[in-house]
Amino acid sequence: MTEYFEVLGRDGAARVGEVRLADPVTTPALADEFVVDAGSLWTRERDLPEGDEDVLTVLPHRAFPAGTEEPVQESFAVDYPEVAFPNAAVVTAETAADYGADAYVLSNASGFVGHAEAFRDEIIAARGSLPADSALYLAGVATPANVATLVYAGVDLVDAKLAKVKGRQGRYLTAEGEYRLDELDELPGAFPSDPPLSEFTREDCAAHNVAALRAELATIRTRIRRGRLRDYVEGQARHEQWHTAAFRRFDQQYGYLEERTPVIRDTELTAASEDTLRRVEIQRFADRVTTRYRNRFSNPLILVPCSAAKPYSESQSHRQFQDAIQFRGHVASMTSPIGVVPQELELTYPAQHYDAVVTGHWTDGEKSFVADVLQRYLERNDYPRVVAHVGGEGYRDICERVSETVDVPFEYTVADHPTTTDSLSNLMSTLSDELKYSKRERQHNTVRAIADYQFGEGAGDALFEDVHMTSRYPKLQVRDVDGDQLAVMVPQYGVLAFTLEGARHWAESDAPTKRVDIDGFVPHGSVLAPGVVDADEEIRVGDEVVIEGPKAFAVGRAEMSGPEMADSTRGIAVEVRHVEER
Amino acid sequence: MSKPTPEVYERGKGMDAHNEVMRSIRSRKQKQYDPHEPTRVWIDEDNTPDGVYQSLTIILNTGGCRWARAGGCTMCGYVAESVEGGSVSHDALMDQIDACLAHERENADEASGLVKIYTSGSFLDEREASAETRRAIAETFADRERIVVESLPDFVDREKLADFTDRGLETDVAVGLETATDRVRHDCVNKYFDFEEFVAASEEADAAGAGVKAYLLMKPPFLSEREALEDMKASVRKCAEHAHTVSMNPCNVQRYTMVDELYFRGGYRPPWLWSVAEVLCDTADVDAIVVSDPVGHGSDRGPHNCGDCDDRVQRAIKDFDLRQDPTVFEQVSCDCEGAWEAVLEEETSYALPLTR
Repeated sequence: MTEYFEVLGRDGAARVGEVRLADPVTTPALADEFVVDAGSLWTRERDLPEGDEDVLTVLPHRAFPAGTEEPVQESFAVDYPEVAFPNAAVVTAETAADYGADAYVLSNASGFVGHAEAFRDEIIAARGSLPADSALYLAGVATPANVATLVYAGVDLVDAKLAKVKGRQGRYLTAEGEYRLDELDELPGAFPSDPPLSEFTREDCAAHNVAALRAELATIRTRIRRGRLRDYVEGQARHEQWHTAAFRRFDQQYGYLEERTPVIRDTELTAASEDTLRRVEIQRFADRVTTRYRNRFSNPLILVPCSAAKPYSESQSHRQFQDAIQFRGHVASMTSPIGVVPQELELTYPAQHYDAVVTGHWTDGEKSFVADVLQRYLERNDYPRVVAHVGGEGYRDICERVSETVDVPFEYTVADHPTTTDSLSNLMSTLSDELKYSKRERQHNTVRAIADYQFGEGAGDALFEDVHMTSRYPKLQVRDVDGDQLAVMVPQYGVLAFTLEGARHWAESDAPTKRVDIDGFVPHGSVLAPGVVDADEEIRVGDEVVIEGPKAFAVGRAEMSGPEMADSTRGIAVEVRHVEER
Repeated sequence: MSKPTPEVYERGKGMDAHNEVMRSIRSRKQKQYDPHEPTRVWIDEDNTPDGVYQSLTIILNTGGCRWARAGGCTMCGYVAESVEGGSVSHDALMDQIDACLAHERENADEASGLVKIYTSGSFLDEREASAETRRAIAETFADRERIVVESLPDFVDREKLADFTDRGLETDVAVGLETATDRVRHDCVNKYFDFEEFVAASEEADAAGAGVKAYLLMKPPFLSEREALEDMKASVRKCAEHAHTVSMNPCNVQRYTMVDELYFRGGYRPPWLWSVAEVLCDTADVDAIVVSDPVGHGSDRGPHNCGDCDDRVQRAIKDFDLRQDPTVFEQVSCDCEGAWEAVLEEETSYALPLTR
């Protein structure tokens, strides 16, 4: 059981946590100052240390360096005892198991750090065998340049060992790489505490390296708290090939990152490279739009280009489109890197949160991605007509590519640019015979579409068959026939939040639910992990969940993934919105 | 708290695992050797209890070490330098001796006072070299001053040694003790005998009027630089009580060994030459000759420092070997000493190696 470590926040596989020593330490952090090594069992037998609340004690260990073959690991593996003080156990992915330690040190890190595929495989394998709420410590490998990649993969603790040794070797480290001190004309990324180059010794170099590592960790912690580590890593990792290869390798192991990536965030998502297309958030949106969402309008589909301003409908260009369309068409925006955004989901994370680099030029990768999403979208949804109100090489190419593969005819209304008078008048006139849909239809279709997206295929119909709306978009309130409120639309994420009545309705409906079973208590404010008896594996951070136990029925928002809730002994599992005693 | 210690080690189990892995690694080697040629032969100078001699060092190919066939030591690649079938005939061994004598005639002006015979196994094991061969070789070198023969402690026997001492040779048995710490010898080196057996062999040699030359191994796998350094300091002191000469040698990375496997995967670095110098300096006061003969110094696979100072430190070590004067190490210094000190400070067995 993890007693002295707690995960406080998550951003993908990366976490901000706390080593709960007498003087608590926020992670990711340098472990040097609070780790005490009780020693190696290769050299002699050792008594179990007494431990100390002030430090994290590494239990007596037999470390297996990189390249230790399996039979040797198996026969020499230490069966670590459970102790009552802050402690860490030394393992490899091979020997990793729940020893009840607060932290686990991977002793073969020097062998896989630097090799993207091996790095990914070892981290995923180790994480798979270790309790989710324990800290992962990679010793003797961190540099200011690689530490963002290490933390992004799920590492909580590193140390300054390598940075110090490199300094004494005359290797000057920065977040963008390594320089030989004797080849520098000036000190890049120097700190005010660094002496001038003319007086700069190797001791100074070691001190600089540690300071640089410390500064980088502060950047990383800040990024995690803001939910923006991925945006940082996509840029910073570019300085070293293996770092870039590493996060791409993780992108290929979608399941590991998907389980750990929140479904909603109230922060910007930077789309500055083609790697953004492989992000969980982007892939997940495209997946849900093409497998969960269903169009309920009978009007033609109007494909329009995205806008820089979000939500799209508030941008100048989209207001002009709306004036021409007059509710006679179902609008979907085409965009890189999101793909296709139907109008009902324009607020839904990350549709109103991303910010892309716009040059007017589309890469082949972007075109393929958007074309693929659009094709799958049109295969799933029937429209009488598709009006492509798009110009420019990218949008038009994609539409032409897709129109060849689907039955529905494409009409093009843009002469030169979508917002010119000619284009807008083409758009208006091509819809002259179409009927308007009502505000009621628009509102009902919006909450049902969000329910499909958020809870699963068919959820919109299963949940909201006989409802009416109050309040105004984007804060629509869904009420049942008796006027009781079931849910409200949350404008900053574009998702639904249930009332207690709504949660009960949800639990009884045919719509897929996500459930957390708890012990016999009434949660107020939050459900802590030890109180969780079981949780759906599909639960992700940010998911709406039903909480049930012998004493209570509640609804709230998940703060951990389902597997993590079931596995953890510390930390907040769910933030409770409404609760009712039984 | 549950158990008082996390000790789970079972000697048989660990040794089986090491042997299994070593056998598998060794089996990858295909090369065969001519049983009529010695593995290696060279001329050098050696410090002995009665002064410095020109030495003829012979590595006989006897078919290899019996222990290595079972798997054997984690750093030892010499077993692979044995022959098909495993045994070498008396005639073939005598051909090897003739080849060594020819080498000596070609490369030295005079006959060497000291002859050292190694087999990468046990010359005193009669499965490697029969009594007939042993006596014939003793006879061949009866006109020299000193002889050293390599053996595991099990095979040290006063009768066998009498073959040499009776011919007036000052005789030493070279024993690969590796470390005075039984646990490290067993678990890191995978050598089966105990320090007590080394002491017994030393007493047996003494009874035959022979001496013992102890061979130590600096930095077997699984140890940090500091652990390796401390292990050697303690070992030199401990075995100097039972041997007149201690040869403390840094581990090098030999092909087809567990050490090679670890090295290849990034889990092993040979010791720093500074560590060798530190042990020699620190133990200069012991009542034994302490020498070191780093093999492959300055290369990635051998003991090395930064690349700039390796030759200088190696020269100082060789100088120390002959004169036993620790002040030779005051003559060498390099910027990389700071890095070595940082490694001693920072490296642990779960965070190694910190440098290449």
